[in-house]
Amino acid sequence: MTDLRFHYPDYDVMASIDEWDDHTKEIVLKRLGPFPEKRFLEEQEVRKLRLIIKHLVYDNRDEILDWILSYIDQRLHSEIGENQRKLKAPPEKLLIREGLKTLDKLAEKLYYQSFADAGTKEQFEMLASIQLGKAANIPEWATIPQKDLFDKLLDMIISAYYSHPTIWSEMGYGGPAYPRGYYRIELPWTDPWEAKLPEEKGQE
Amino acid sequence: MENRDPVKHNYVHYDGHRHDDMNNRKFGNDEVDVCIVGVGAAGGVLAYELSKAGFKVVGIEAGPFWNPQTDFASDELHSYSLAWNDTRFSIGNDPIKLGHNNSGRGVGGGTVHFTAVFYRFHESDFKTKSIDGVAEDWPISYKDLAPYYSKIENDIKVSGPKHFPWGAFHGPYPYPEREPISANSQIFREGCEALGIRSTVTPLAILSAPFDGRPPCTNRGFCNEGCMPNSKFTTLIQHVPKAIKHGAEILTDSMVTRILVDNTGKVTGVEFNHDGNNYRQLAKIVIVSAYAVETPRLLLNSACPQYPDGLANSSGVVGKYLMPHSGHDIVAKFDEEIRFYKGTPIMASTQEFYETDLSRGFVRGYTLNAHGFRPVALAKNLAVDAGYWGKELRQIMLDLNYYALVSLVGEVLPRADNTVTLSNEKDEYGLPRPIVTFSFGENDNKLIKHGVQKANAILAARGGKPAFVIPDTGHLMGTCRMGGDPKMSAVNGFCQSHDIPNLFICDASVFVTSGSGNPTETVLAIAARTADYLISRMGKGKIENKGKVLRLH
Repeated sequence: MTDLRFHYPDYDVMASIDEWDDHTKEIVLKRLGPFPEKRFLEEQEVRKLRLIIKHLVYDNRDEILDWILSYIDQRLHSEIGENQRKLKAPPEKLLIREGLKTLDKLAEKLYYQSFADAGTKEQFEMLASIQLGKAANIPEWATIPQKDLFDKLLDMIISAYYSHPTIWSEMGYGGPAYPRGYYRIELPWTDPWEAKLPEEKGQE
Repeated sequence: MENRDPVKHNYVHYDGHRHDDMNNRKFGNDEVDVCIVGVGAAGGVLAYELSKAGFKVVGIEAGPFWNPQTDFASDELHSYSLAWNDTRFSIGNDPIKLGHNNSGRGVGGGTVHFTAVFYRFHESDFKTKSIDGVAEDWPISYKDLAPYYSKIENDIKVSGPKHFPWGAFHGPYPYPEREPISANSQIFREGCEALGIRSTVTPLAILSAPFDGRPPCTNRGFCNEGCMPNSKFTTLIQHVPKAIKHGAEILTDSMVTRILVDNTGKVTGVEFNHDGNNYRQLAKIVIVSAYAVETPRLLLNSACPQYPDGLANSSGVVGKYLMPHSGHDIVAKFDEEIRFYKGTPIMASTQEFYETDLSRGFVRGYTLNAHGFRPVALAKNLAVDAGYWGKELRQIMLDLNYYALVSLVGEVLPRADNTVTLSNEKDEYGLPRPIVTFSFGENDNKLIKHGVQKANAILAARGGKPAFVIPDTGHLMGTCRMGGDPKMSAVNGFCQSHDIPNLFICDASVFVTSGSGNPTETVLAIAARTADYLISRMGKGKIENKGKVLRLH
């Protein structure tokens, strides 16, 4: 991913972990693994989701993908509600399970192979068409609304990805801030522990 | 050993009763004076005021009794557990995103994770029909609420500016304004200044100095994730512990499934489910404070032979006139680092565009709040609401520190076809899941367009390049509106049902219009006024409404 612009190559939010409260520490550390056995997702679903995640977050680091997969599994295993859904959309467990199968049907229709076997570009194009609700017509879309499927996957995947401390570090985001808080919140000040641009560091 | 913690001293144990033990109930076998359904913003104030006045009060809350130190965290993903996550159907041209953005679950309700922006409504908000020819007038005026706004501001020590430029109240606030303000708020004020737009440090229910055993804010920035230092007001740490001290019993993890009605047509209490078992709580008066979706849902689900269309619903308005605020987020990119997640999320605002100005081509108006975000909220909104993903989203997020953000709080006019209704699908209690239907109207859309342009102009005047506009909504109101005419409203100006004199509805669902600013202070003021009314009437041993008299003793 060398085509991305990184501002804070040296910042590590985890260097501040001793400044965090115990509850937050526990929550964040769980994102670094090891991860529990999958309770909802089946192996072939995990394989397919891994490919989808790479497209949606534009990242292929396994340790981060493993956390996202673990989060999706926990969430689909849980009986807590899903906030909202459309009247015609199936509950999220079914939407994801059947939706992943439908991706293979779509790939077979378009490329005569499974979603996983289709090329990266083909996978990307299938996902982009589903986001717009304009994927090639197959009967499965009658019960699996395309946009609902895409948005549900996107919602879960993006929430988990931007909760990973490695991603926080790359953004220069300070992460958890209790009990320390921030002392310098006005422009252009930063607290000593915050991420610094390389040129600023040079000046110090 | 006595627990001297100023916040939690009454949390687990009081007079030998535990809040989570149904075999050791305090008022389990009694007919109490008041049963409150939902211990959130309004329910917390009601429980406190009524128990302080000497009434036997039981508050029943569907969610847990949070402990800020062990249940909250400095983490966005974790904080979703503080919202009402039950599945609802959301439909319409502009389906509302439900969850953390507009609901709470557990003692404190939405106050647990609100931004604590604390505005009074303006005088015009109560009479939009008379002034602008839209919606309906409220049966109460600003003057009726003014003493309660003052009382609430003083009870919780709102920190606000020396002079607030708009509306009927110009300050001073009980506590000094928050300072310093965050970089994101500074950018916003400088942009306003460059354009000659007045701005202010936002009045906040967040302490600028110590109060009641609680410290001033540490600028941690995680107000939406639950305040851990206890610097932010919530009814969880402010009103409810005091209510318990005054004798109220607060039941948690208990879902009220039905309001009970006797053969004379008055309510006698509620049925609730705790851990799979059903219980009853008898009460002389029932107050429903479960917010704009669950309140109408409970009233509709409590339909019975006397009230086949649901309780308090002879007018047919229960579930109608649902209003969110338009809540678009306007983001600009700067050449300098801003780091908009630092400090209290909202610290500067303008209400310069609050009142109707017909030259703009629409009625009513909006507030603009400088609004700092954290990465998950920003990325999720950019992805799900604005359609970004893949490489584009990744690069946007790598530039996180360079964005400033302003949020719109725009008035949405009430319309009968924006509703909460019941579906055929049942939840785990066997109750029909609600359907929330919402579409913006023409006036709403014109207002949004104007607000987005104005926010972009403010950010551009400070050197920002317009980056994204993320469509969003905030807050929920309406669905059981108050009014003078029983044919057109569910409750009167004191939140009392027109149909059933010992049933009250007291939360944001009684709003007639949405106003153009954050609504929580108005919810609390209405609750304090309803409590006052009940105290004055119940003290006389009877309660009446339009000639119907109900003896309480």
